[in-house]
Amino acid sequence: MVSGVNDFEALDRDVRLYIYRRFLDAGTPPGAAETSEAVGASASDVEESYRRLAEGRAIVLEPGKLDVWMAPPLSARPTTFRVDVANRGRWWGTCAWDAPGIAAMLDADAVIFTTCPDCEEPLTLGVERGRLGPPEPVAHFAVPARHWWDDIGFT
Amino acid sequence: MLVFRSEDHVDRWCEAKGMAKGAILTIRQLWGLARAWYGDRLSPQWRRRTPEEAEETFKEIGLTGPFWELR
Repeated sequence: MVSGVNDFEALDRDVRLYIYRRFLDAGTPPGAAETSEAVGASASDVEESYRRLAEGRAIVLEPGKLDVWMAPPLSARPTTFRVDVANRGRWWGTCAWDAPGIAAMLDADAVIFTTCPDCEEPLTLGVERGRLGPPEPVAHFAVPARHWWDDIGFT
Repeated sequence: MLVFRSEDHVDRWCEAKGMAKGAILTIRQLWGLARAWYGDRLSPQWRRRTPEEAEETFKEIGLTGPFWELR
């Protein structure tokens, strides 16, 4: 039973790290029941932990559910950013920022497959030896920073 | 947050969508942001940045002005 602030912090840390580990290993995030078993906490405590992590913007839950939608930079829903890390796996990056964020998080080389929204031509970016390229494309952030979380799905 | 072939493509797309143009980041800035934001995400000690810290990170990457203000 989780009761004190330190207990909450420790549980949230364990839950958060398990969500990422499982997401990276399996390609999909774990449900609360699986996480509960993995971290050795009750289902209700882990469900509360999911909600706290979402309130703290460490993860994003599917609207009205306890299913993980985003564990940034990873997205459980398909996006226009597919990220391939050799010998590790393939994931959907949440957005232009998060796709290279997967390579940064894993400290690994990666290939990012996306499409130019204007001309709809495929665009491939790569992280190689600690650098993202090629240099010619640009990223467009449509929403000012203070409004990113007004509608994180759109952002 | 999307990647375009060039800034001309952003302009065309914004016009076609009737959307206001936001901020343009070079690939170098995008990578700087990705590394600063996600480099420590798997650390047990990770915590969310305060608005002040986030603005400082943006500034270090050369992202300044009202678009990047959080307070």
